[in-house]
Amino acid sequence: MEELDLLKKDWKKNEHSFPKITEQEIYAMLHKKSSSIVKWIFIISILEMIAWSLISFFTADENYLKTLESYHIKTLVTTFTVINYIVIFSFIFLFYRNFKSINTTDSVKSLMKNILKTRKTVQYYIWYNLVMIGIIFITMMVATCIYDERFNRMSGQFEGNDQGMLFWMMILGFTIVFFGLFVGVIWLFYRLVYGFLLRRLYKNYEELKKIDL
Amino acid sequence: MNSNLEQSFVSQLEQHQNIIHKICRLYTSDEDSHKDLFQEITIQLWKAFPQFRGEAKFTTWAYRVALNTAITLYRKKVKTVNTIEFDGKIHKFNHEDYNYEEEEQIKLLYKAVHQLNDIEKALVFMYLEDKDYTEIADTLGISEVNARVKMNRIKGKLKKIVNP
Repeated sequence: MEELDLLKKDWKKNEHSFPKITEQEIYAMLHKKSSSIVKWIFIISILEMIAWSLISFFTADENYLKTLESYHIKTLVTTFTVINYIVIFSFIFLFYRNFKSINTTDSVKSLMKNILKTRKTVQYYIWYNLVMIGIIFITMMVATCIYDERFNRMSGQFEGNDQGMLFWMMILGFTIVFFGLFVGVIWLFYRLVYGFLLRRLYKNYEELKKIDL
Repeated sequence: MNSNLEQSFVSQLEQHQNIIHKICRLYTSDEDSHKDLFQEITIQLWKAFPQFRGEAKFTTWAYRVALNTAITLYRKKVKTVNTIEFDGKIHKFNHEDYNYEEEEQIKLLYKAVHQLNDIEKALVFMYLEDKDYTEIADTLGISEVNARVKMNRIKGKLKKIVNP
């Protein structure tokens, strides 16, 4: 018998020997676009980390280090930096794990669960970043008030003129405005970048929910 | 509207999924890549589904899109040639009239088919599916004569691999 005909005989015989894929699984496959969104979250988080690292690398000149030293917060800032890197790396790892698990899931239910988990991770990530920025900002502010020579000279002058209260009110007002602006800009950045991806992820989730009912 | 379309697509695909499994059987040699290709084809079929207006049978339309996916899309992704040992796990054999020698030869044949290039695999697939040369030529965009020549070459290749 010719080779191909032998193959054909077997081909026909085993025509129905495949593992059956359910409609649910097909739906899950069609909604795998979530995996590409989650992949982008993973990639952007890495790019973001690289960008911040580059910025701090290029701005951390001798002057900056001297300032930190005169503020007595060099160790503190270094500790913060180390902790920050550890946490950011953990988040990146989590993003990667989310991507992997969404990529390999084949049921609508677990896909939905993974989408929700990913959204939570991103939200925690954003909150972490905002809080960290806030802590560093406040630390810098307090250190400036206590240790900065020029600042102390200025406050001394105001206090000498009995305008200490006014001075501190001004500083407080300035701090609040500047802090609000600073955190606000960063919050806006996160909302734009991750918010866009999260909205698309959520839309996909809503579609999946309709299927699952 | 869109969800109706999706529903109709999913139920038809579920019903005729074997056609895709069969293509995966020729183009992949392990369970994971079988699944990957199945998913890739499913997504491509869904993308192409709005153009399917029911003039042809779903199966005829599906196998053409699926073959195209296997030939073009998958090739870009998997650069390495699959020469992995033939995995009997997903390609379960019926062991009723068990004939050891024939069984061995069939295993060898599948392995040989996996070594063919993507176009040749498509030809083998259509041959196994009893498509005539007019359809083979039409699907692959080659002339009928060319299809026959290619087919003969494949037969020769397989013979050589199976009886070295």
